[in-house]
Amino acid sequence: MSQSLRPYLQCVRSSLTAALSLSNFASQASERHNVPEIEAASCPEVLLNPLTVSRNENEKVFIEPSINSVRISIRIKQADEIEHILVHKFTRFLTQRAEAFFILRRKPVKGYDISFLITNFHTEEMLKHKLVDFIIQFMEEVDKEISEMKLFLNARARFVAESFLTPFD
Amino acid sequence: MATLNWRTINIDALDPESPANFDLSTLTPAVAPVSTADVQALAGQIRQLLRGGDSEGALQGALENPPYGADERGKDVHLATIIEILQSIRQADMSPMLGRLYKAPGGTEALDVLMKYIYKGMAHTSAPSTATKITPQPTGFSQVHSSRSGEGGGQAMSVLLSWHEKLVEIAGPGCIVRVMTDRRTV
Amino acid sequence: MAAPEVHHLFNHPIADHSFSADRQTLAVARDNNIELYQRDGGKFQLKDELTGHDKSVTGVDIAPNSGKIVTCSQDRNAYVWEPSPQGWKPTLVLLRINRAATCVRWAPSETKFAVGSGARLIPVCYFEEEDNWWVSKHLKKPIRSTITTVAWHPNSVLLAAGSTDGHARVFSSFIKGVDARPEASPWGERLPFNTVCGEFLNNTAGWIHSVAFSPSGNALAFAGHDSSITVVYPAGADQPPSAVISLSTQLLPFMDLVWSSESEIIAAGYNCEAYRFQGSEQGWEIAGSLETKGRPGLQDQREESAFNMFKQMDLKGKTTDDTKLKTVHQNTISTIRSFEESGSGVSKISSTGVDGRVVIWTL
Repeated sequence: MSQSLRPYLQCVRSSLTAALSLSNFASQASERHNVPEIEAASCPEVLLNPLTVSRNENEKVFIEPSINSVRISIRIKQADEIEHILVHKFTRFLTQRAEAFFILRRKPVKGYDISFLITNFHTEEMLKHKLVDFIIQFMEEVDKEISEMKLFLNARARFVAESFLTPFD
Repeated sequence: MATLNWRTINIDALDPESPANFDLSTLTPAVAPVSTADVQALAGQIRQLLRGGDSEGALQGALENPPYGADERGKDVHLATIIEILQSIRQADMSPMLGRLYKAPGGTEALDVLMKYIYKGMAHTSAPSTATKITPQPTGFSQVHSSRSGEGGGQAMSVLLSWHEKLVEIAGPGCIVRVMTDRRTV
Repeated sequence: MAAPEVHHLFNHPIADHSFSADRQTLAVARDNNIELYQRDGGKFQLKDELTGHDKSVTGVDIAPNSGKIVTCSQDRNAYVWEPSPQGWKPTLVLLRINRAATCVRWAPSETKFAVGSGARLIPVCYFEEEDNWWVSKHLKKPIRSTITTVAWHPNSVLLAAGSTDGHARVFSSFIKGVDARPEASPWGERLPFNTVCGEFLNNTAGWIHSVAFSPSGNALAFAGHDSSITVVYPAGADQPPSAVISLSTQLLPFMDLVWSSESEIIAAGYNCEAYRFQGSEQGWEIAGSLETKGRPGLQDQREESAFNMFKQMDLKGKTTDDTKLKTVHQNTISTIRSFEESGSGVSKISSTGVDGRVVIWTL
């Protein structure tokens, strides 16, 4: 399973590097406004074809580029109900603090667990290759964290159940 | 009169001059319409080449005639053909074959088309199963996976991912950028 | 190749830059203002600031002979700044557009300038003596989307424009009273205002980031978002062009290009370095990067001594410092312009980017 992780992350890395070619673009639809075109979606010619990179049905990355912004949506592997809840809580924790994150989007795109919105202003302030590094690192870490959380959860549940039932033995 | 809510009319969609009504067809050069039967005939020819052992010729043939003008079914048929070819070529043969394709005239175009199919393959093989196959378990322990189709899909994915890696080594990020900007979608 | 001259002005993106004719003054667009730098020995010192725009400035151009500066911004306005003893005096230009202006360039004759805008038209502005201000005539058809770049033909009548609708077009902007009749060229003969002398589209149709006429004006090159450069050689007024050569590259897209001679183009963009292209009507090829890999300054930084490695681990928890790119520019290059011309063509070019650096390259 970890065999396909490296080419998967490599594929996401090269797709992101290509998609992060953003430039400042003032809105065509409203004067004196500068909005991320992928969110406004007012003019079809400034949006590009979206790309999907998937490792299997449960893990994929959906990249939607446009002239001044890119939306990256990640679907995290959730094997069972408990992981589903854990991922939900984890992403909720992050999205509630989205202002501090800058590139995080508060609501994930439908069908995915978490979404990032990177605009040309972000690529002007921050280095593009480090942004890509961050997203790749995030994808690697989130799987580890979810498994860790699940292990702790199960361990605590076992301990609690044991100590609860011991008097009845 | 009362049935139509005037406030919810999208005035931009009705105004022909509005930037929202940009005609995307002006961006694509004219594509000849291709019938599904033609695509299937081509697929048959390519399968014959494959069975004959000439995978490079099969790949080249498939990449030179992408059915931009076909409808959804025709495009799906061609996609299935290409995935079959990609799965049949061994790991060791991938890079040299891509190198030869790139050097041939029209090589950049062919590799762009291949990249488009790789992305389309990854988008499609994951689409049918967006519904979660989780049944609520009160104990919270992992379910035992027994889906055979999931296995097959996963294999196709890793094949596509390794092709993608080799292709980026040869054609560079410019190839990916062209997949994004080219409005002629496969 | 001599080492490039790097000036790191500040840490903000530079949207556009322009040098004065003597190359001693540099005008740089920074956020809502234009900063004027004076050359002082080997460095540039901040001399003046032109304020007046409400939103970010997108284009700056200094006219070589008259010294006037024209600026345009996303607040739909353009100003012409004239030097006076009290400082720079702005004159508002009547653009009559209702969206942002994206780029501005003086014509070689300096009697008019063209402004690209998001209102899907190009105001060509000239000075009206009776009213004592700059007025504009609009080039509208058949533009369907934001104009991102404009470039003038040496005869000051033909104007090339690239847009986000994927087309590069050549217009005639002949204004009676301001322009002299141009000589016949491969682009056409009788050229009233708003004639389209050519409309070119790539197969992969990416947004056009930059257009440029060759030094003689007989060829047009444009760079698109599909990482390609296309060169068009026109044949005559109503005939199809004699050659349209499209070169797709493996690199990230180019944001700007400049002709250094009839057979060489320098283009730069998201790869943060500049590349040479060489060719002719028969075909064009990429001829390598302008940067050499063995630059003395860079070698010291990449010395991987054990001391450095542990120092990095202690400071940042990593063993290698990969925050700096290996190229001179640390972020996308957004504009390149010719800096110095010699007999055989351009010998030096200047480039600015999103990282706030101005670099002068020797070719």
